[in-house]
Amino acid sequence: MSDAKSRSHKAQKVIDRMGQKLSRQIAGSMIACVHCGMCIDSCHYVLANPGDPTYAPPYKADKIRKLFKKHFDWTGRVAPWWVKAGSVYTDEDLQELKDVVFGMCTNCRRCSLNCPMGVDFATFNRMARGLLVSVGVMPEGVAVVSKDQWETGNQMGVLKEDYLETIEWMEEEMRDELEDPDAKIPIDNPDCEVIYSINPREVKYDPRTIADAAKVFHAAGESWTMPSEGWDMTNFGLFSGDDDLGASVAKRLYEKVIELRGKRLVISECGHGLRSTQCEAPNWAKFDVPFEMESSVFTMLRYIKEGRIKVDKSRNPKPVTYHDSCNLARSCGVTEEPRELLHLVCEDFREMYPNRAENYCCTGGGGAMSMSEYTPRRLKSGVVKANQLKDTGAEVVVTSCHNCVDGLTDVIRHYELNMEVTQLVNLVANALVIEEKVAVPVERVPEVAVADLPLAGRRLVVADDEPDQVEFLAAVLEDNGATVFRAGTGDEALELVRREKPDLLTLDLSMPGRDVGEVFEMLRTELAFEDLKVCVITGRPELRRLIYDRSVRRPEGYLDKPVSEESLILNVRKILELAHEHETVG
Amino acid sequence: MSNLLHFSEHTLQEIALTFMALVYVTRITWFLRRFKAGTERQAPSGSPQTTKAKGVLYSWANVAMPWAMESTRSRPFMYVQFVVFHLGVTAAIALSFVIPYGAELLDSQLVVLLFQVIIGAACAVGVVRMIRRVSNPYIRAISSPDDYFSVALLTVWFFFAVLAAPNSTAMGEWHLLTYFLLTAFFLVYVPFSKISHYLYYPFTRYYFGKSMGYRGVYPLRGG
Ligand code: SF4
Ligand code: SF4
Repeated sequence: MSDAKSRSHKAQKVIDRMGQKLSRQIAGSMIACVHCGMCIDSCHYVLANPGDPTYAPPYKADKIRKLFKKHFDWTGRVAPWWVKAGSVYTDEDLQELKDVVFGMCTNCRRCSLNCPMGVDFATFNRMARGLLVSVGVMPEGVAVVSKDQWETGNQMGVLKEDYLETIEWMEEEMRDELEDPDAKIPIDNPDCEVIYSINPREVKYDPRTIADAAKVFHAAGESWTMPSEGWDMTNFGLFSGDDDLGASVAKRLYEKVIELRGKRLVISECGHGLRSTQCEAPNWAKFDVPFEMESSVFTMLRYIKEGRIKVDKSRNPKPVTYHDSCNLARSCGVTEEPRELLHLVCEDFREMYPNRAENYCCTGGGGAMSMSEYTPRRLKSGVVKANQLKDTGAEVVVTSCHNCVDGLTDVIRHYELNMEVTQLVNLVANALVIEEKVAVPVERVPEVAVADLPLAGRRLVVADDEPDQVEFLAAVLEDNGATVFRAGTGDEALELVRREKPDLLTLDLSMPGRDVGEVFEMLRTELAFEDLKVCVITGRPELRRLIYDRSVRRPEGYLDKPVSEESLILNVRKILELAHEHETVG
Repeated sequence: MSNLLHFSEHTLQEIALTFMALVYVTRITWFLRRFKAGTERQAPSGSPQTTKAKGVLYSWANVAMPWAMESTRSRPFMYVQFVVFHLGVTAAIALSFVIPYGAELLDSQLVVLLFQVIIGAACAVGVVRMIRRVSNPYIRAISSPDDYFSVALLTVWFFFAVLAAPNSTAMGEWHLLTYFLLTAFFLVYVPFSKISHYLYYPFTRYYFGKSMGYRGVYPLRGG
């Protein structure tokens, strides 16, 4: 490059690596844009920011395209100003590019489908992310999650023991619910028809979905198992653009299925998980997958059609709508099967408009939920989704994607819509008609006595500097029977723990006053608090190092904001109940 | 006919066409050699009604299916502009062959009128497009000098094509001469400008359609 001398090391690497990453499809997308503007208002960011052209897909695309024009195309090399060709020279230029490719686009592909020329911006935006990640330029949340997935094999850093304990816990719940001692969640059984892989979010925030899926498999009499390792079907490589990470993550799963001699890999409801595992990763990993793969939506639908499970749609009477995940609808063609299933298990299904491949992003796509620095921007763009949701008049929004569950939950809370978010597996499990094995009549208690509430008798300290958040957490916990003490700073939290001796402390990581890491370490080292359980609840995952880098026992739980009522209760219960079991066993 | 006009209608056009063809061949060779097409290892996914071949056909046919994309469906006027503009380009290019090699066609007033109506309408669309490019803040923000110049060049070229259509020198030769000089310039300039998009269009839509068809997205389902 003639101007290489004036370029920083990282910027030079980005240019060099771009040359290796340019496929014919990407190069075509770089050249073919005619700046017609037809795609502009297909983007939810544009609609939410009227008058601001910097969100327009071709405007954002040109930030990457200019590099192509300057370094690889003809006219741009000779007369760069004529075609707005340009380069990156400094690390600040890379930071600016980072802000565009990570912070102003969720790679939802809606503009790609609306471009008459076939320009696939989302695909080359992902390439640009990968180039920046390769030189270490990325939002901190992306770095944290990527690191977790490289190191622990799953993107939420769930440890093997946590995973297995959660499954065990869910197995017990399922047994109790079905009153069937044979109900099991098998682990590592070889030669099964189905290997079921999940999203680590299910272990951390939504274990109910594991139990619900298990109920469905059990009712269908399926020969199935979950793997003890390589169980994460999500893939942060899709979001970060890091093909090596994508390949490595998927290979762990593929190899485990091969080791267990599974016939079919069933992927729980997750848009990017399905897209990565089924469509993209065989290419990233250069791996010919010798078994079938499908979304659990297809599996559940087949069970009903084959009469393997019976459902009663009157058990789901609330009006529901369906949100198409971008990855499912625009990259995997999964649009009709979820609807078919919904018609079978719900009484009142209402379509959302626009829908299917034209649906708008939940705002949480492309890994946006892990990039806390862009949260205000993301939530602002959520107005498009919020209006779509509101117009349906539904009380429940169903989605077949864990990422969308988080994105939608956040939008619903921010725009104060009175809706709940759920997944198909929850509705199918709820509609399941299971023939009772035991004919002992069970007396139903009409009202829940306080002592029966799941957190009755528990003492908790909630520490967070946002009063709304404290009130929300405290109210949910109190409604479930706990006695809650509120703290707004690290010092207050310390004082309350010393005074009230709670069972559990929920801890925000960015509170004013004394450093939260220090507070945590003090509590961990004081003998009096040996039994105190800590659950971190944060909107800034990049701050986890404040706690996790310390050489003391790790927190028992970790939740990313926004937290739903259900996941809060499930996690708090899990922490307290598992602790209780261990104590009993011990 | 002056020697200059004769030269412009024949030799100059031939040189420009040859140049354009050479550059096009070079560009396509560069495009196909320099950039490798990705391979798809995964098994086809999605509905059995969607296949690679169907995806490609659907993707190519998209241009003639304004209802298939929200962006064209919601802007019928833009779509009509697109059709008229591209018909105008086709007609203006055809005219540059008709005048030197089949002038007798233009003895028919109807044919002349047809050329003038199509190209004139395209010229009007060119003006509208230029106004949009300058006045719409979104379009302005994404426009490069090449974008402005390309629209201006085509609009002016259309204008002279309308004047040249009767192939009459009764009022002098300047309009014919300008039309053929502009045509030659257009042919030479196109491969280096965004106007060459039509060269890549079949490829971009092919690869996009192939991938979308293979993965069950194209042809779009339901709705
Ligand atoms: S990406 Fe496509 S629709 Fe958007 S401006 Fe470029 S050519 Fe037009
Ligand atoms: S991929 Fe989605 S978020 Fe990104 S520019 Fe296109 S429409 Fe907007």
